[in-house]
Amino acid sequence: MTVPLQAEALDISFKLVPAIIVFLMMASFLVIGYVFKVADTEGMWVAGRGIGNIENGMAIGANWMSAASYLGLAGLVALSGFYGLAFIVGWTTGYFVLLIFLAAQMRRFGKYTAPDFVGDRFNSPTARALAAFTTLLIAYVYSVGQARGMGLVGQYVFGLDIIPMIVVMMTITVGYLALSGMLGATKNMAVQYTILIVAFLAGVYVVGFSQGYSTILPQIEYGALIADLGREFSAPFVNQPFYLWIATAFSLIVGTCGLPHVLVRFYTVRSERVARWSCVWGLFFILLLYWASPAMAAFGVDLFQTTTGASAYAAEGGMSGAEGDVIVVLAAQFADLPTWFVGLVAAGAMAAAIATTAGLFITASSAVAHDIYTELINPDATQRQQVLIGRGTIIGMGALVTVTAFNPPALIGELVAYAFSLAGTVLFPMFFLGLWWENTNRQGALAGMVLGLLIWITSIINSVLPSYIGALEAIAGEGGALVPIYAQYVPPIGAALIGTPLVFIVTIAVSLATPEPPLETKKMVRQCHSPEPMGQQETAADVVGDNTGGGTPADD
Amino acid sequence: MSRDTPADREESIIQPDGGTEPAHEDIDYLDREVNLLRPSTPFMRDHLKIIWSSFVLWALVVFGPVTLTALAPEMMTVQTPLFGFPLHYFLVSFGAPTGALILATVYTRYRDRLDQKYGIDPDAVESTAPETGEAAATDGGVEQ
Repeated sequence: MTVPLQAEALDISFKLVPAIIVFLMMASFLVIGYVFKVADTEGMWVAGRGIGNIENGMAIGANWMSAASYLGLAGLVALSGFYGLAFIVGWTTGYFVLLIFLAAQMRRFGKYTAPDFVGDRFNSPTARALAAFTTLLIAYVYSVGQARGMGLVGQYVFGLDIIPMIVVMMTITVGYLALSGMLGATKNMAVQYTILIVAFLAGVYVVGFSQGYSTILPQIEYGALIADLGREFSAPFVNQPFYLWIATAFSLIVGTCGLPHVLVRFYTVRSERVARWSCVWGLFFILLLYWASPAMAAFGVDLFQTTTGASAYAAEGGMSGAEGDVIVVLAAQFADLPTWFVGLVAAGAMAAAIATTAGLFITASSAVAHDIYTELINPDATQRQQVLIGRGTIIGMGALVTVTAFNPPALIGELVAYAFSLAGTVLFPMFFLGLWWENTNRQGALAGMVLGLLIWITSIINSVLPSYIGALEAIAGEGGALVPIYAQYVPPIGAALIGTPLVFIVTIAVSLATPEPPLETKKMVRQCHSPEPMGQQETAADVVGDNTGGGTPADD
Repeated sequence: MSRDTPADREESIIQPDGGTEPAHEDIDYLDREVNLLRPSTPFMRDHLKIIWSSFVLWALVVFGPVTLTALAPEMMTVQTPLFGFPLHYFLVSFGAPTGALILATVYTRYRDRLDQKYGIDPDAVESTAPETGEAAATDGGVEQ
């Protein structure tokens, strides 16, 4: 086992004022979580379906912008140059696809979780279980990146080693989540969004202004700097080829549309119109950070080169991965800004990581408590039991994520991107076809999901595991992948470019070859597209049930 | 938000193919097939027109600049007068995300207008408190 990477250039020591800022922020999250604590499943998972436009937009933003956006994105742009922009494009423009094809329809379907949709739509406990398993896997891979971000930032503020920092930060996150559920989390997310965006923009503006890079619009004024930063920063396709660029952006886009913790935000709103507008607001709130991120990367690289006197890119003396991951904090530190200010920027990163981890853990806990335990194991589970199982899942996941984050296999942004290609390959085709083609059936969905999981898992085994397992590393040799050609075309970070179309084809072909789904299921899909308004607490299954006069909808 | 007059509504039901589609009020949406490629109601047809046209624009904005950069690198990497950005860098880092936001706003406005055209009031949704206990979880609220 290798020693975890430390960011050498980061000033690691205990700092009183930043520590107080972080402490107050964490305490406020706990208080909000406690005030809005919930005891029933409606509250825990869909916040009573009463959230409005802008509040949900901010929650979408906070939920979305994790350590990967706050820290990792600038790091990727700084270290990978033009290839890093694939992450900016992928993590923003996907919201448009989500908006036009899924958001409002999902709201009309109106259940609790993403596996709920898959299970009910395809009338299959197995499909539900596969979706719940995928949800868990996504939450796990995704959270590792967050825990790592929290640890790195914690180092700067508290001066401890990275491992104890990860443990402390994850404990606090898990504690507040176990207390409150989605309602508390939603209220918290609006607060967290405000903290993280103010901290980030303050960082960009102050660094840009104090160093003479920019005045009122650092978001585009950094253009003047690009020529000085060297070929690595802006020249196209020097770090990665065109294929990987497209594969990455595509994976992130379809991943956006397949992420359970993103979709569940549309279940929490009042109506489908609010679902649409909050999606637009969410994209705007996200862009406030994404417009500024490449500017911060440019400032950071330039300051790194001036401060250390070495090129950020040269093999010797260049930036390490860990330094790239904290470039946002580093830039503020190099700019000789007061410690409390750097601490504020660091606290923003913490808020980002916590908000996303919260969203992920909630979806993971509902996947276990609702989709696996209640739907498959114990249909008579009481609310009390469900909430208990949900909390247990949060604690168990927290422990697992913490341990994995000690020695992660990649940069924060890359880790998170793995989760996106999983969501884009396995879940996105189910959501899309399930909503837009009523003849998609159980057999098709099962075949598609199994294939999707296979593609993603083999890709990870092929390219990521060799650096962990000695025996595999020996086989992989220099290139680091067991089957280089597979790694080239189905890299874990862009597996969806090949995977998603394949899953679509297989799902459609199998659906055509097998009997059509029952009429009640088709009616449910039709209800998702009908323009008729429906009740706030109503689901598509309710409407179909009422319409046909039959008591219960076609459940498994 | 004025509701369409009956005369307007009469107009809106005449289809391009000259078919006699029943008016929106008379359609039972639960009897109409959902197929992305074969819209079965006037509403769905109108909606898909907006969806597809904005989707094509989106694909151009998002994947156009980077593909052009691969095809014609010299042309795309010229320095622009705007703060000295190389063209490709600006179009990808700023153009694509901003384009997606603009298209999202445009789509949502058009979609609202569609509701108006069909006389739908999405805010007519009755807001009811969630029913307590297990009933809400299995049945949801029952209104209408």
